[in-house]
Amino acid sequence: MKTVLNKTAKFVACALLAGGMVQSAQAANWLMLQGTEPTDSAPRAKVWGFIQAQYQSDSSTPNAGQGYIPPKLIGPDFTTQETFNINRARIGVRGAGMPLDSKVNYFFLAEFGNNGITAPDGGSAKITDASITLNHIKGAKVRVGLFKTPGSEEVYQGIMIFDYVNFTNYAAQQLIERVPNQNYTANISPQTLPIGTSLNGFEDSVGAARDTGVQVFDTFKMGNWEHSYSVMMGNGNGLNTTDNDSNKDTYLYWSSELVYGGQGARREGMKFFAWSQSGKRLLDNTNDSTHNPVAYDRKRSGAGVAYLKMPFRARFEYNKADGMIMVGPQSATFDMNPAGAPGNGENGTASAYYLDVGYYVPGTNWEIDGRYEVYNRLEGDQFETEWVTTTIGAQYHLNKKTRVSFNHEMRDVEAIKFATGAGPNAQVDGIDARTSVQLTHIF
Amino acid sequence: MKLLHVKQMLLLCMAVVAMFSMSAHAAKDFADVKVVLQISDPNPMKQTLVLNVANNLIKHYGQDRVDVEIVAFGPGLRLLFAENSNKDRISSLAGNGVRFSACSNTVKAMSKKLGYAPELNSNAKTVPAGVVQIVDLVKKGYTLVKP
Repeated sequence: MKTVLNKTAKFVACALLAGGMVQSAQAANWLMLQGTEPTDSAPRAKVWGFIQAQYQSDSSTPNAGQGYIPPKLIGPDFTTQETFNINRARIGVRGAGMPLDSKVNYFFLAEFGNNGITAPDGGSAKITDASITLNHIKGAKVRVGLFKTPGSEEVYQGIMIFDYVNFTNYAAQQLIERVPNQNYTANISPQTLPIGTSLNGFEDSVGAARDTGVQVFDTFKMGNWEHSYSVMMGNGNGLNTTDNDSNKDTYLYWSSELVYGGQGARREGMKFFAWSQSGKRLLDNTNDSTHNPVAYDRKRSGAGVAYLKMPFRARFEYNKADGMIMVGPQSATFDMNPAGAPGNGENGTASAYYLDVGYYVPGTNWEIDGRYEVYNRLEGDQFETEWVTTTIGAQYHLNKKTRVSFNHEMRDVEAIKFATGAGPNAQVDGIDARTSVQLTHIF
Repeated sequence: MKLLHVKQMLLLCMAVVAMFSMSAHAAKDFADVKVVLQISDPNPMKQTLVLNVANNLIKHYGQDRVDVEIVAFGPGLRLLFAENSNKDRISSLAGNGVRFSACSNTVKAMSKKLGYAPELNSNAKTVPAGVVQIVDLVKKGYTLVKP
């Protein structure tokens, strides 16, 4: 099964490569687009946002006992294999509070959709961004507050123009951070349908690739090249705006882009980027009544290249994770083997790469997308798991702000040190294709 | 005799330089079409729009046959701030003979609010009052357009 899927995945990826690829938002300067406003032409308050309504269907099969694990169900609720959802519904306001003074600008955004940001908190609204940028020092803009942390292009880009319905498996598991619970929380076993016990063992919102802190950044133009840097320090506590320990996260980011032309999110260019994030997380992983959390290192890093020149786009990223490896929302212990000695998640490593290509079909409103991802989780561990996913997609642009996205993800997951059907494979063997349709409207 | 020639040459050069520097802000007396564009709106989209209109006029009539002056006052004066994100477009239009006038009254009022005088685009010429400048130009036969 795995071999056939791998071959299919590789064939589709190669076919897309051979045929040319994508369009869309690949080589934009997200540091500046998200953190600053156009000088002396920013509004006092620009209201904006977007809505994403979707339908997803998962064709995975349950284990021998008819039990399901989260990858076989549709998030964030993990209660069904097919559902409509308002995945994202965000509204925000940004601008310069005193338009005469372009040295100060702000950015505010809140989430009303049903996803990992809102669902753990009961499905209500949640502030995702609230920041103020000071542009007084040339070469060192200062952004303060809650906002996206510079990192992997896949999650750092403005999500409203993300070319797929779902993140890569690596991004969904290791970059969209699950903040550890305050107290020890046991893993949740596979559940039969209808779900009796929630398969999400985490109490807080996902980190959403955001943090509260201070960032120093800027961009420098040199001919057709644009070089950007960012240094940030934050709480390392996701969307929680206060810290839960004295450890701070540090975030480093660099990009150099050859700009071909255009502006904003759809600017054409070829961008090279590298980044790293490091911090510590408190995790109480001893099954007793004592609150005795331990601080574990959490490091993430990556590098990649993004290219956009109509009608083609392409992106490649290689990412590494060291520590606090999330092995599923049902495993708040960060441990795939809670029966054994604890520690394979919190001290483990993971790595992944993906190639994403696209082609905007000339003379039409259609865009064709293809993505191939290989992700190794808990490398070297007995429970090392390989995720190979090929996604084929198409997008139809009704206008510049509205599009329909069609995705079909072919997933193959295997615990490589176990035989088929044995150990973790009893659960992951059945992970199969996921199909989705999503309507996005930006306003 | 030679000294006289040198002096004459120097004077001639100075006169030519002076003429060129004046021409950047001088009306095109022989233009067929004369338009004054008003920007007094805080909406940043109006900044783009007024520059687009000026550009379209130049493209349609030709640089030598249309005389365009953009008068900025009130909240619209931000267009003529030195670091405005449209400064490259302003420079390009100025190169095509478009004149930019900044209202001194607005500059004074903004200076009070900011605590310092805003630096203006080098292509902008200050006029005592933006609205008076528009009235005077209309009297001279300019068509007023407020995009």
